Amino acid sequence: MGVSVPDILIDLIKTTSLIIVFAYIVTRTKFFTDVLNKQFNLKSQIIIILLFGGLSIFGTYGGIKLPSGAIANIRDLGPMVAGLFGGPLVGVGAGLIGGVHRYFLGGFVAVPCSIATVMAGLFGGMIYNLRKKEFPKVWQATLFAVGMESFHMGLVLLIARPFDQALAVVKDVVIPMIGANALGVAIFALIIRNLIIEKRTAAEKEKYRRDLERKEFEIETARRIQQSFLPETTPRLDGFDIAAFSLPALEVGGDFYDFIPIAQDKWGLVIADVSGKGFPAALFMALSRMCVRANAMGKSTASEAIRLANNLISQDAKSGMFVTLFYSLLDLKQKRLNYVNAGHNPPLLLRGDTGGVILLGAKGIALGVLDEINLEELQLDLARHDTVVFYTDGVTEAINEKEEQFGQERLVKLVAQNNHLSAQSLVDKIKDEVNAFSLGQPQFDDFTLVVLKTV
Amino acid sequence: MDIIERKMANGVNVICICGRLDAYASSEVEKKLNGLIDAAQVRLVVSFDKLEYISSSGLRVLLATLKRVRKQQGDIRLACVKPSIKEVFDMAGFTQLFTILDMEEAAVKSFDE
Repeated sequence: MGVSVPDILIDLIKTTSLIIVFAYIVTRTKFFTDVLNKQFNLKSQIIIILLFGGLSIFGTYGGIKLPSGAIANIRDLGPMVAGLFGGPLVGVGAGLIGGVHRYFLGGFVAVPCSIATVMAGLFGGMIYNLRKKEFPKVWQATLFAVGMESFHMGLVLLIARPFDQALAVVKDVVIPMIGANALGVAIFALIIRNLIIEKRTAAEKEKYRRDLERKEFEIETARRIQQSFLPETTPRLDGFDIAAFSLPALEVGGDFYDFIPIAQDKWGLVIADVSGKGFPAALFMALSRMCVRANAMGKSTASEAIRLANNLISQDAKSGMFVTLFYSLLDLKQKRLNYVNAGHNPPLLLRGDTGGVILLGAKGIALGVLDEINLEELQLDLARHDTVVFYTDGVTEAINEKEEQFGQERLVKLVAQNNHLSAQSLVDKIKDEVNAFSLGQPQFDDFTLVVLKTV
Repeated sequence: MDIIERKMANGVNVICICGRLDAYASSEVEKKLNGLIDAAQVRLVVSFDKLEYISSSGLRVLLATLKRVRKQQGDIRLACVKPSIKEVFDMAGFTQLFTILDMEEAAVKSFDE
């Protein structure tokens, strides 16, 4: 009654499958996790000892039947693995269950085999200690299994008598025993190492999530602080209607507008755009805004105010940072605008009587570029129903899915066609048109609008 | 956005920026230019022949590297600047800072004078 090669193969596959299932299930239990994470509570340890002791007993019977009739068993597998991941106590515990059971089955190899099973748990536990309780790599565990089974065979030769019989048994089973146990240990080692990596990844993910939460909170706080830098409301200007809107492309941005009270009937109107967007631009925005504010108050002319502001700003402008800015001094009584343009998009002036549009350009350069600058100052008288639209390039450079820009022309046309609207309504109209134009596209740049109408 | 780099016979480096120079692309260009300046390559021509759009970040990068390169007796000269791009430079007042030439060859040769 021989056992053929296909039979051995099928046996091997069956046993391997059972080990894989056992390994997968056991490693997903809380008891396993507790012991693996060195949370040594008695209950988990006892359960693991019982489980792997049970595996050991199974291993006596569930080995591979060889042609000679002997069985290449995997009794040592349970204790080896238990020792490797749980330490000597757990290993020896499992080993004793399997070993004592084997002893009482009898036979002339009973003694060396029982001893080997207990030692398997002990050696596994010693490796655990040597590796400072860290589970070994797959090749290391497999090598241990090979060594352990060789040791097991050695014990048989040493203890079992008659020697010839012992030698015959060893010759018969040594390769299959080493092979089967090594395979079993390798399977466990793979599954356990995967589990360890899984848990490590989960822990890292959790850490990143907490970090992200904290950063998002800080960003939100920064956003609120920057919001508070913009005027809370538009000032009441006698004879004028004024409205404003600003939205950064990201949580914070580099655009700003400002209304600066200069004198009884004089207000400074600022619109500006710091290069770039996001946090670097926002920090520079805070700096620029204060430099302009501080220098605008008390200065009689627009060009002087901005020239001095530039002196301050350029000292702190590193890495090529600059800010384009349009500043106008509005005389409410005279209905007059004195203005300078430091590299900014020229505001649109729509004349109420003719319907014609003028661009308020003036010779100048963005702030922060040169230490000393000269700005051309121009003057403009405003008549009834005149509208001035101040904007940043987030309006004109808004793109649609074809990467076409909204453009200055479209803006001019839109303003010309809507002179009848109030300042706020015109702001809303421009917003709506740009949104409709760039539908679906993420906001490309910080978007700012200020509309001033003479009533 | 792509960057094509060429070294000319007279030692001038030509950097051709293709596509849209937005905030993200600007950091790539900045790295490239700074790398060249670190390697003492301070005679640079930036060609805008294939440039479709330049953002304020792009201007910032050009300004920063211009300041750097001038400190080392070098220069960045611009070539093939389309009218739409030139408008952006004009508006910001940057035209007075840079030497702008129509043809790339002319820009490269200008370093020989």
